Amino acid sequence: MESAIKTLVTTFISSSKGKENLDSKGFKNLVEKQFSSILEDANSADKVKEMQQGLDANADGKVSFGEYLTLVGYLAQSMSDRKTAAAAQSD
Amino acid sequence: MPSELETAMESLIKVFHRYASKEGRSGTLSRRELRELMENELSNFLRSQKDPAAVDKIMKDLDTNGDGQVDFEEFVSLVVGLSIACEQCYKMHLKKMGNM
Repeated sequence: MESAIKTLVTTFISSSKGKENLDSKGFKNLVEKQFSSILEDANSADKVKEMQQGLDANADGKVSFGEYLTLVGYLAQSMSDRKTAAAAQSD
Repeated sequence: MPSELETAMESLIKVFHRYASKEGRSGTLSRRELRELMENELSNFLRSQKDPAAVDKIMKDLDTNGDGQVDFEEFVSLVVGLSIACEQCYKMHLKKMGNM
């Protein structure tokens, strides 16, 4: 579990190249590279832009580490729900 | 082929459900399950699992709906909190190494 948390952190840091926030390009690259198998919209520029705006709680046009964690948490939640639903079905 | 980040998320989900299914309501962590998870999975990040009062406090902080259990959404807050702490630590480390 600790290594998973490290991955969450280092993925953001390497995408933002050590900067505080991800700009639009950095965010787009991260989504394409990391979420292409769980997000259908990962390769649609418009959808990614929409997603970025949705996350941008402080409306500064960038994605902060906290805003990125919101996305990760949201996706993890829906993956977990799907898993629970699948388990309930097979019972 | 899942990415590194997807694999990490998958493993967080698996860890949660592994402990959550141990006793009582499956799908949520009881206090004991949370303590076991912290003991076994977070032994390098956290020392507070050894202190019953600290476990109680973490449990209380996480349990936003006050049902005495930690559901997945509440568990995500723990992951977010640890990630933020880990990020700050990592940045300090980079600064010390002179890379930033």
